[in-house]
Amino acid sequence: MKFKKLLAVGATLAVSAFTLAACGSKSSDSGKTLHWEDNAEISTLDPSKVTDVVGFNQLNNVTEGLYRLGKDSKITPGLATKTTVSKDGLTYTFTLRKDAKWSNGDKVTAKDFVYSWQRTVNPKTGSQYAYLFSGIKNADAIMEGKKSVSELGVKADGDYKLVVTLDKKIPYFKLLMGFPLFFPQNQKVVEKYGSKYGTASKYFVYDGPFKQEGWTGSNLSWKLVKNDDYWDKKAVKLDKITYQVVKDSNTGYNLFQSGKLDGALLSAEQTKQLKGQKNYTVFHESTTFYLQYNQTKEEFKNANIRKAISLAINRKDYLKVLGGENTAATSVTPVGLTKVNGKDFQSIVSDKTDMTYNKAKAKELFNKGLQELGKDKLEFAILTDDTDAAKKSVEALQSQLKEAFGDKVTVNTQTVPFKTRLSRSTSGDFDVVLSAWGADFADPISFLDLFTSNNEQNDGKWSNAEYDKLIAASKNASSASDRWSDLEKAEKILLQDQGVTPLYYRNQAWMVNDKVKGIIYNTAGANLNFKDTYIAK
Amino acid sequence: MRKYLLKRVLYMLLTLFLVATITFFLMKLMPGTPYTNQAKMTASQIEIMNKQYGLDKPIWEQYLIYIFGMFHGDFGTSFQYSNQPVAYLISSRLGASMQLGLQAMIFGVFFGVILGAAAAIKHNTWADTGATVIAIIGKSVPNFVLAILLQYYIALKLGWFPIAGWGQFSNTILPTIALGVGPLAETARFIRTSMVEVLNSDYIELAKAKGLSKFEVVYHHALRNSLIPLVTLLGPYTVALMTGSMVIENVFNIPGIGEQFVKSIMTNDYPTIMGVTMVFSIGLVVVILITDIIYGLIDPRIRLEGNGGNK
Repeated sequence: MKFKKLLAVGATLAVSAFTLAACGSKSSDSGKTLHWEDNAEISTLDPSKVTDVVGFNQLNNVTEGLYRLGKDSKITPGLATKTTVSKDGLTYTFTLRKDAKWSNGDKVTAKDFVYSWQRTVNPKTGSQYAYLFSGIKNADAIMEGKKSVSELGVKADGDYKLVVTLDKKIPYFKLLMGFPLFFPQNQKVVEKYGSKYGTASKYFVYDGPFKQEGWTGSNLSWKLVKNDDYWDKKAVKLDKITYQVVKDSNTGYNLFQSGKLDGALLSAEQTKQLKGQKNYTVFHESTTFYLQYNQTKEEFKNANIRKAISLAINRKDYLKVLGGENTAATSVTPVGLTKVNGKDFQSIVSDKTDMTYNKAKAKELFNKGLQELGKDKLEFAILTDDTDAAKKSVEALQSQLKEAFGDKVTVNTQTVPFKTRLSRSTSGDFDVVLSAWGADFADPISFLDLFTSNNEQNDGKWSNAEYDKLIAASKNASSASDRWSDLEKAEKILLQDQGVTPLYYRNQAWMVNDKVKGIIYNTAGANLNFKDTYIAK
Repeated sequence: MRKYLLKRVLYMLLTLFLVATITFFLMKLMPGTPYTNQAKMTASQIEIMNKQYGLDKPIWEQYLIYIFGMFHGDFGTSFQYSNQPVAYLISSRLGASMQLGLQAMIFGVFFGVILGAAAAIKHNTWADTGATVIAIIGKSVPNFVLAILLQYYIALKLGWFPIAGWGQFSNTILPTIALGVGPLAETARFIRTSMVEVLNSDYIELAKAKGLSKFEVVYHHALRNSLIPLVTLLGPYTVALMTGSMVIENVFNIPGIGEQFVKSIMTNDYPTIMGVTMVFSIGLVVVILITDIIYGLIDPRIRLEGNGGNK
């Protein structure tokens, strides 16, 4: 009889499953709800500990600092109502608005900034982003444990005045103030929750346009609701933003088609099919992929060899192999990072002569380089990640170089896990490595600093005295236009010498419901700002 | 029986200890750091962080600290989910995977047994061929392909079930089917083979000769004996299903443990790697023990007592 019973139970289960499912939920939308996706879980809300785009995007919408970054990373008002900078550029005095409140009712004061910043630079906190504080008085010494946190160059003068002193000029300092790492933290709340702080919606406090609800620390869906305590709540048009973590882009697109999502990130494969269709949207990232040469090796010290490699790469064909929405690079600083007098910095420094496919010239330079080296052929390996995209990428490079230089070159590939690639890059254990860098803030210096001679992250060890001088000068430039001209000259040197060989800028292709208006997307730092977003009728 | 159990439990603990030790040292062989922002940190910043997290200590010392913590029920805190205790991460993620795995297993075994039995009884007829074809398709079509097809046709086009998500029973149907087709095919093939054999044996002839009804012959004599070998197969299979399938979880946006495990390895999240490995191993050794006990219960020829054979 048991078998019969089992059969009966099974059948009942199956039937009830279908009936239950048939009356599935229908979501009701008031026209003020945005349905958005993220491609990974939130790792934490703790501003001192966030390291990923998902977390920074959350913080950018649920918290606020001195400024809020608007379109094209323009500084728009946040908690600071007035900012004065001393003549030497080393002291910033911020006056805070008095009507800003935390969601627990506390007032947001200058002390919250002091506490937050001290907490982040404290080595005990273990912040992986603390290096951005470098330049604020004593920050470096505190991070190394040589000075106490109270010596950090940030002081509260009363509740509504914040005074910041710097060790050296930071021309992009205001821009940094729009990055969530520099936002205030409520000491009372941090201490109340202790190690739980920022590990779930309920263990956090909000001072931004929205408040987060329903994130348990490991789940895949949550929402942001309008924050009624926010000082500028009148400007906030959305009532709610629902989030879903979508890791499979097919799923994302299916959800988008069924109206369950207003935005879905596309894969390279989907990009091919959907390009040019209604709702298709491209977001630029501030990430550039480039080849770094190990210049402690004689053959890569040779500029002709480096230039020849750059000219032998047909970036258009290469990107076709790679798929997706990427743009061929003609500079290190990517498209859309920042504007100088209304002109994209990328277009100012763009170097087409050294980065446009030219097989004849490539061959000529390669032969010249070999001659200078006293060799008749060159063998080297390109190190890269072991993802499918990276493998495709390096194989395409391999065949293009072979095509250009024939028997005179042997290119091997080394595909290793991401973290191995990083470790080997740092220790200089490579010939040529395919690297990527994304900016944390919208300023060319976040790229150009990397290639100064004594920068720890200059893995290839390219070195150019003139370049170093220009970068140093840019940090002390007396006017903005001088600074831009220093940076421009520096990048041009880097490109003409092919200190590194830029390949492409990475972009994201999305389907975004065309009724959704007013999304502010910035290429660097926290990308998305939904404060002004609304849904058209 | 008690002596046998005690001995088995001791062996289990030893196995787990060895697994922990081997995993720990293998894990430390992986290059790189557990810091998610490693790409942007300089060597000296990494050094500061290592000191902070005790990763600058010699490996044997880190090992002792870890084992000591583990014996006190402390699995540490995750690196990728800053401050999140590994125990919470696992417990909050394991439930979905277990539910799904169990449902898939029930679904698969239930329909697999029916399909397999039907094929054996109608041996060498169109029903048998049909069942075999279903089993072969079920076995050879990867479950993620099935998942994508189900999602597109059943959820998006027909709208019968949600496309993705978790929380309601309706969310579990499609992933259960996608995940359950594997065990269904496996069970059907298995049952068919062993039942064909059993149906041809003498005692079945005897049962038939006694005048028992067809159902009683099949159910009481044939099916029961055919189920025995299936038990060995199902134990580890269940553990494998319950510990999560990264692909199915990703397609249906299910907050399961499968993807966490892979991600923790990719990011060198040491405490999470250890925690998940230990939970999987515990699941496996416990299920193997239970399988052996069930074996003894359904097949009286197998004895668990004493020192002989079955360890």
